[in-house]
Amino acid sequence: MLDYKYQDRDTVIHRLTPWSKLGWIASLVLLAVIFDHPVYLFLLFLSTIPVIAAARLTREWASLMKYCLFLCLAVVLINAIISQNGSHELVKAPFSIPLMGNLRITLEGIVCGVGNSLRLAAIISAFSVLILAIHPDDLMQGLIKMKLPYKSLLVASVSARFLPALLEDSRNIVAVQRSRGLEFSSGSKVQRTRNYMAIFIPLLSNSLERASQLAEVLESRGFGSKRRTFYKELKLTGSEIVVLISALLPGIFGIIIYSQGFGSYDYYPALEGIGFMGMEAICLIFLLFLATLVVFTALVKRRTEID
Amino acid sequence: MTRKAYASFALLIVGVIALAIFSIVYPSGSSQLNWQFAAAALTALLILAFFFQFESPSFGSKHVAIIALLATLSSALRIPFAPLPNFQPCTFLIICSGYVFGPVPGFMIGAMTAVVSNFFLGQGPWTVYQMLAWGIIGCASSFLSSLNPGRGPLAVFGILCGFLFGFLMNIYVWLYFSHPLTLRTLLVVETASFWFDLSHASANAIFLYLFGPRLVTILERYRKRFGWVRSSGMSSRPAS
Repeated sequence: MLDYKYQDRDTVIHRLTPWSKLGWIASLVLLAVIFDHPVYLFLLFLSTIPVIAAARLTREWASLMKYCLFLCLAVVLINAIISQNGSHELVKAPFSIPLMGNLRITLEGIVCGVGNSLRLAAIISAFSVLILAIHPDDLMQGLIKMKLPYKSLLVASVSARFLPALLEDSRNIVAVQRSRGLEFSSGSKVQRTRNYMAIFIPLLSNSLERASQLAEVLESRGFGSKRRTFYKELKLTGSEIVVLISALLPGIFGIIIYSQGFGSYDYYPALEGIGFMGMEAICLIFLLFLATLVVFTALVKRRTEID
Repeated sequence: MTRKAYASFALLIVGVIALAIFSIVYPSGSSQLNWQFAAAALTALLILAFFFQFESPSFGSKHVAIIALLATLSSALRIPFAPLPNFQPCTFLIICSGYVFGPVPGFMIGAMTAVVSNFFLGQGPWTVYQMLAWGIIGCASSFLSSLNPGRGPLAVFGILCGFLFGFLMNIYVWLYFSHPLTLRTLLVVETASFWFDLSHASANAIFLYLFGPRLVTILERYRKRFGWVRSSGMSSRPAS
């Protein structure tokens, strides 16, 4: 589980500023939220794959998606049970349940669950770029320069940085307490919870000691004085602006075609057909192209930097 | 409160009222509205209001350091401890820190727990709702400090918090994964998660009953050692 952190690779995607990556993620997540059509959602999911591949993160992404698959199965299951408005009945329970009446599992309920899972998969896939391909320090600096609340971002980035250290601490404390004869795998539930506190309390005072050191460090570096400086300054160069625009284009184009009535879909009471005619098919292909455009512009940007 | 906090809070209230009027006047239009998006935007506004409040100069380096490390600890607690589903001690730590350190730090610790642990467990649309749920629990716990409750009332408060968290997260599940957004589907989602919420609530109660007063004493000692004055939580006057 703990492998989902920043992976340092030297790829075109990693070399982009955090703003371009954030812009692309924001576009895709926005589209995944506004569109209802399962085909649109599936294509959005597919369009994240070239970016992941360009960042050479397919292995981490695949393991994240395996976890996502379980989530999706749960979503389909929940939706099939909850939604009772479909017209094509597959199974009907012979008994009645309070609040729900006779349970019916309908084709529409299942397909709607699949649609929602596709949306979830697209969002998780887009967010995996945020977790895996943006350095936490770059992310923080990028967000600070977007005038977002700075102390809160500092808290988040410090926490994310200290978490591995704290887990290491907890492993040490477990080893120490084991060597003092404390059992963690036997005994009653209450006893085990009590023993658990023998890890928790030292861990707490350890981390509060760290907090006092951190406060001293912050104070000695002039935390809270007027202008904040950075060790590695991020700048939005001309070619970077082009990449940023190409990352925002799918979002803008998506909103335009959404306002034209494309991408909506009604699952209930009966499934709509999903044939695409002329204009919509062209728009959809163009959207797919725009969503992956950031890979090409990133490649071009890298090229111009080499020259 | 700081000016930006006021602004986002005012925007939140205007948004809620506008949505309510819109859905009463145009019932057909409200079913076309993207409620997932509207709810996420309003939730984000509430969280931003707290974040802007935290920007006030009364919170200095020591506050940032303590909040960061307590948030780290509670996110670490979210990861490994799982003999039962939802049986996590992190809500327990959030409640105790809200109790000792006040409303805004309590909210920050709760919200940051969600953000930081999700960096390792997976970010998604649920992060916003978890931030809100844990943040509200941390903020609400600050009212305990004026009551000074014993073990029993603390445990009861833990049960309430467990169900509050479940209720808020169920709203997220309902918004995203159930199609006709009606009161009936909401009730179905709320009842379906009862055992999970009960597990969370009982974990809170057990931890608070057994170790609550002890943890509060420890945190209280550190608070005094850092020279952190609790009443500075809501004023925008710089701490001396």
